[in-house]
Amino acid sequence: MEETNFNLPKQTHEIFAIMARGAFISSNGSRDGMNRLYDVINNPENFDRLQAYFNVIRYNIERGNNFFYFSKLNEPNSELEKKLERFERYIDIIDLFASMDNKIGIGSRFRPSEIAEECNANVRLKQKLQKIPLYRSETLHNKVREICELMSRDSYLELEDEKSESYKVLDSYNYLLDVINSIAIYEEGTSASDDNQAIIYN
Amino acid sequence: MSLQVNVKDLLSNLYHNRGVVELLFGQRDHVTVNELLGRDDITEEQYRKLVSLDILYEYENVVSLNDAVVAMFEDFMEIGEVTPGFINDYINELKRHIRFYQEAREMRFLRSIKKYLKRINTTLTREIIKLQKNVDDTYKNESNYRIKLQKLEDYREKRDTIIEFIRQTTSIVDETRNLFNITNDTELFGIVSALKASLIENLDFLIEIQTDITDFINKIQYQLDVYKKAQRLKEVKDHGTLHYKTNFREVVSNINTLKYNGHKTPKTKIPIDFLYSDDGHVLCKRIAEKYKITRLMVRGLADKMAGNFKDKGLEQQIKLDTEKLVERFLNQSKLNLFEYLMDYKFPKAIGNVTFEERLSLFVEIAMEYQNKLDFKYRLQYHDYEAENKVKKRLGYTLIWPLKEKNKKQQA
Repeated sequence: MEETNFNLPKQTHEIFAIMARGAFISSNGSRDGMNRLYDVINNPENFDRLQAYFNVIRYNIERGNNFFYFSKLNEPNSELEKKLERFERYIDIIDLFASMDNKIGIGSRFRPSEIAEECNANVRLKQKLQKIPLYRSETLHNKVREICELMSRDSYLELEDEKSESYKVLDSYNYLLDVINSIAIYEEGTSASDDNQAIIYN
Repeated sequence: MSLQVNVKDLLSNLYHNRGVVELLFGQRDHVTVNELLGRDDITEEQYRKLVSLDILYEYENVVSLNDAVVAMFEDFMEIGEVTPGFINDYINELKRHIRFYQEAREMRFLRSIKKYLKRINTTLTREIIKLQKNVDDTYKNESNYRIKLQKLEDYREKRDTIIEFIRQTTSIVDETRNLFNITNDTELFGIVSALKASLIENLDFLIEIQTDITDFINKIQYQLDVYKKAQRLKEVKDHGTLHYKTNFREVVSNINTLKYNGHKTPKTKIPIDFLYSDDGHVLCKRIAEKYKITRLMVRGLADKMAGNFKDKGLEQQIKLDTEKLVERFLNQSKLNLFEYLMDYKFPKAIGNVTFEERLSLFVEIAMEYQNKLDFKYRLQYHDYEAENKVKKRLGYTLIWPLKEKNKKQQA
C-alpha cells in the first residue's frame, strides 16, 4: 500500500533491513543482490524518494564513494568509548594491511591463510598481527580469520566462497580509509599530512 | 615454421586437436606434458606430430602454443597486449607508397595506399578496444600494487602513442587531399572519409580512457597514501599519544554510522494471533524444547485434512447429534419424543433449529430407532402458528422411551 503511495522502489524493505542493521550497501557486493540494491538507491529519483521516506522515521541515507549507509537524524552520536576502542583496533588492522607486500585494496580477493602465511614469513608483520587485541585466537591463521569475521560483520568484507574461505573487499572499505584520512596528526606542523593528501595526477 | 605447411594442413591440424588448442589457449603456461597426455583427446603420436609441426612448444616440461597461433586468436578476439607499434609500421608504409604514387601514378601503389589506410583504421580501433579492456582488467585484477601502478602508467604511455599516431594519420590524410582528389577514385574517397570519422571517434574514446586511467591511478594513490597515514597513526598509537597528538577522538566522535553508535535493529513483538496459527505453534514448540517445557509439547499439530473434509464433516456431525439425542431421550421418562424434540435446547453451534427441522428429525428418529422406542399408537395434537399467522393443528404418535420391563417382555 505505502509503496504505491510514496512511489518507492519495491526493494525498499530489503534496503531498510540491511542498512538499519548498521551495514553498508556497496556497489561491488554480490550477496543478497547487494549490487542491485546499490543501483536502486543510486538512481537519483529513487534516492530522493527513499531519503524523504526514511527521514520521516529519522534515518538518513549517507552517500560514500560507491557505498551507502544510514545515520540517525537529530540524535547525538553515542558510545564514544566503544567507538574509540573499535577504531583503535581498525588502525592496527589497516596498519597490518598497509605493511603487507600484496596490499589489500577495494575489489581484491584473498584468503585468511594467505595473509597468515605472509605474516609467518615476515617477523615485523608477525609482531603486528600478534599485538592486535583479539579475544580468542591463538594461531596466526585463526587471528587473521577473526579479523576477517569482524570486518565481514561490519560489512567491509564479503565472504565470497565459504569452501575456500575467500573474501572480497567491498567498496565500503573506503569508509575506513576516509576515517583514517580525516585524522590529522599535529606534529612538526601540518604540512606533512597535507603532502599525503595531495593527489599527484591531474 | 620449420616444415613447410600450407593453410589447409595447418587448419586441419588445429581442427583435429581443437580440444587441446582450446585448453592451451585458455591456460597458457600452466599445462605440463604429462597433464596434456593424460587427456583422452590426444595420443603421444599426435603430440609428437604437433611439436614437429611447431604448433606446440615444449619447454621445461611445460607445453605452450605457437605464439603466432596465440597472436592470431588474440587479434580476432580483440584481447591480449596492446601493441601500437604496428600502427607505426603501417603509417611508414603508407607514407612510402604515397611517395611512390607521387612519382609514378600507378594503380599498384594506389592499391597499397588503400590497403594501409584500411589497416590503420581497423588496427587503431582494435588497439583502443584492447587498451580499454586491459586498463579495466589491470585495475580490477592485478593484486600487486606496485605492478598495478606501473602497468597503468604504461597504458597511459601507450595511449599517448596512439594519440600521436592518430595525429600523424590525420596530417597525412590532410596533406595528400589534393593527390587523392586527382585520382578520382570513389573507393579511396570512401576509405578516407570512414577513416576520418573513426579517427575523431577514437580520439574521444581515448580521452575517456585517459580519465579512467587517471581515476584508477588516483584511487590507488589515495589508498597508498591512506595506508602510509595508517602506518604513521599506528606509530603514534604505539607511543601512546594517539589521543593527544591527533584529533582521533574528535573524528571518531563524529562517526555517525548506526553500527558504531550502538543502534540495534528495530525489534518487533510477535503478534498474539500469530501464536495461535500453526507456524506460531511450531515456534512455541521450538522454544518449549529449548527451555524444556514439556507442558507445551503435549499439544501437537492437527493432521493434514483430507481434500473432501467439508462434506464428510457435515454428515458426521448430524449423525452424531441424532445418536446422542436419542440416547438422552431414552434416559428420561418425563416427555414423549415429540415434546422432547420441541423443547430440546440444541447447542448454540448448530444455530436456530426451526419447527420443520425438528419435525423431520422426529420422523427420522422414529424410523431409524424404532427398536429402541415404545410406539403407543395413540395420537396427540399440537397447536402451532404457521408463517401467515394461520392456526394449525398437528397430530402425532405418542412415542416413549422403551422401559426396562417392556424390553424384557419383548425379549
